[in-house]
Amino acid sequence: MFRKVLIANRGEIAVRIIRGCRELGIRAVAIYSEADAESLHVRAADEAVCVGPASSAHSYLNIDAVIAAAKSVGAEAIHPGYGFLAENADFARAVTSAGLTFIGPSAEAMELMGSKTSARRVAVEAGVPIVPGTVDALGSFEEARKTAEEFGYPVMLKAAAGGGGKGMRLVTSGDELRSAFETAQTEAAAAFGDSALYLEKAIERPRHIEIQIFGDSHGHVVHLGERECSIQRRHQKVIEECPSPINDPDLRRRMGGAAVKIGQSVNYTGAGTVEFLLSDATREFYFLEMNTRLQVEHPVTELVTGFDLVREQFRVAAGEPLSFTPDDVRWLGHAIECRIYAEDPANNFFPSPGTITYLREPSGPGIRIDSGVVNFSEVSIHYDPMIAKLAVWGRTRDEAIKRLRRALDEYQVAGITTTLPFFREVADDEEFIAGKLDTGFIARFNERREVVDAPQDQVDLAMIAAAIHYTRHQQPVFVQGATQTSDGRWKMAGRAAGLRRWKRS
Amino acid sequence: MKLKAIIGEQEHDLDVRIDGGRVRAEIDGRVYDLELREPEPGSYLFLRGSEVHDCQVNKAHEGFNVSLHGRNYAITIVDPKRLRSGQDTHGHQHGLAEITAPMPGKVVKVQLERGATVEKGSGIIVVEAMKMQNEMKSPRAGVVVSINVKPGDRVNAGDVLAVVE
Repeated sequence: MFRKVLIANRGEIAVRIIRGCRELGIRAVAIYSEADAESLHVRAADEAVCVGPASSAHSYLNIDAVIAAAKSVGAEAIHPGYGFLAENADFARAVTSAGLTFIGPSAEAMELMGSKTSARRVAVEAGVPIVPGTVDALGSFEEARKTAEEFGYPVMLKAAAGGGGKGMRLVTSGDELRSAFETAQTEAAAAFGDSALYLEKAIERPRHIEIQIFGDSHGHVVHLGERECSIQRRHQKVIEECPSPINDPDLRRRMGGAAVKIGQSVNYTGAGTVEFLLSDATREFYFLEMNTRLQVEHPVTELVTGFDLVREQFRVAAGEPLSFTPDDVRWLGHAIECRIYAEDPANNFFPSPGTITYLREPSGPGIRIDSGVVNFSEVSIHYDPMIAKLAVWGRTRDEAIKRLRRALDEYQVAGITTTLPFFREVADDEEFIAGKLDTGFIARFNERREVVDAPQDQVDLAMIAAAIHYTRHQQPVFVQGATQTSDGRWKMAGRAAGLRRWKRS
Repeated sequence: MKLKAIIGEQEHDLDVRIDGGRVRAEIDGRVYDLELREPEPGSYLFLRGSEVHDCQVNKAHEGFNVSLHGRNYAITIVDPKRLRSGQDTHGHQHGLAEITAPMPGKVVKVQLERGATVEKGSGIIVVEAMKMQNEMKSPRAGVVVSINVKPGDRVNAGDVLAVVE
């Protein structure tokens, strides 16, 4: 096993990986930008190296600086986390040529599966169905228009190098195509340095279900079941579950089998996720894309299977075989994760950066928090606004939902606005409770959501608390009659003692 | 002490008297007799009979954010005695809607020109912040009477980007 590993990331995922290092006795090295010098992931690490200014292009995405940092501290391996350089094959190659181990799949596998167009080709060759769409990147707007008309609207425009919803647009009619094409191109270029787009037919009311796979360098590829990630906003997942509310053993076997086949066909090593769209009506599924890294939502799989995916990543990268076979994988209970963003749900989910002035996290049975912030942390405008993940586990989905409500009620964050109140509303929503999920869930939820008024006496008590706080802090206190004092006797005695000392000197 | 509390659009008259560990409060005629403890700064623990109400108060951009029983309340407290004349100047300019930047960012695109007719919900300006492009939409149908930014401009929270009439 490695003795020292550099984590090329920040925020909650860096903290998560550092925790994995600690449990394996690996020294954890953090990297940070100048804006992150005081952040939690630095404080949690054994060693830390500054890799550049706030802008991630010059720090967390700076391949040379990251590798130089690893060399300077004598790290043997680099864990990329998710985002930033995690799916950058050039980075993986640079790490390897620097004589270090990249904790992830081979650069070749990343390249094949990283481009959505070549990934679709791999899926087709492995006999896994794909959503009808262009196999190659679109050459021009004209080509996009022609293809869209061929498939019929709605269609989906996607960045060929993409992920995380960036450079992705749903287009419902020809009128919207040009503006969508241009913004998607701009976003793709900004986020991935590659403006290439491709186009797919949009499936109506699809569920987004993904399969966690794991491969090792001894030829094993095993799946760890599915995650339901249908609740998305701007094509970004916000709530994930394991298992899917519509899970049945047959569906899991078929989807798991398809994912393993794809993994095997590219000699996949390490943690990977094969994403599918599933038609709720027909239960047919289509390969969507593969993420060649640890996912944000890996905790729900960990809670239900009991495996530590980060630990397994370290094992596999160190050349050891997987610690489990397909027969060892069992799914117990139900887990739900909410991604807590510094965004204002009342204001179209606009980012809400700032300083966290108060933080109280939930705890107790079945609760797991993966957080990148603590009290007084600064949520900066430079990075992704996700500050933490709340995951809950229960024996049944119903139990997990009740636990989720309880945990959300306990969770208090002040100084910034977060998506917590939004999740609290979703947790009471009938369609959510019934497990009727698809990627249009949030749009429909926003239509039907009703703000349930708080009981009058609670509103009154909140106002009374605010008024008391106001009187305590806003006004200079003017005390009449200075002889009346509420100071304790110890203080009085102390003052008297102080006076005596002063007198003597 | 007599105060006004503003919550949402509504204004409430508040009379709060703190006497040691007890609070007597009257809001719009509703009377509360509470036991008060302050376990940590900003924390107000009320006992109403045997009912526990654990309030956490934090300063927000405007006024306070109060968290109680899993809900958040944005409350502004005003002391009428501190009010000077000249208040109430921001009377509603009827028919005008300002499109403001909700946070710092960069203007990447201006989609409409001054004088253009807009539908409710049509996009006017695209602002990039935290790596996401956000389309600023018109809150109502009307005519764009001013566009105050151009692509490439840096904007701060609250800056008026455009006005629709």
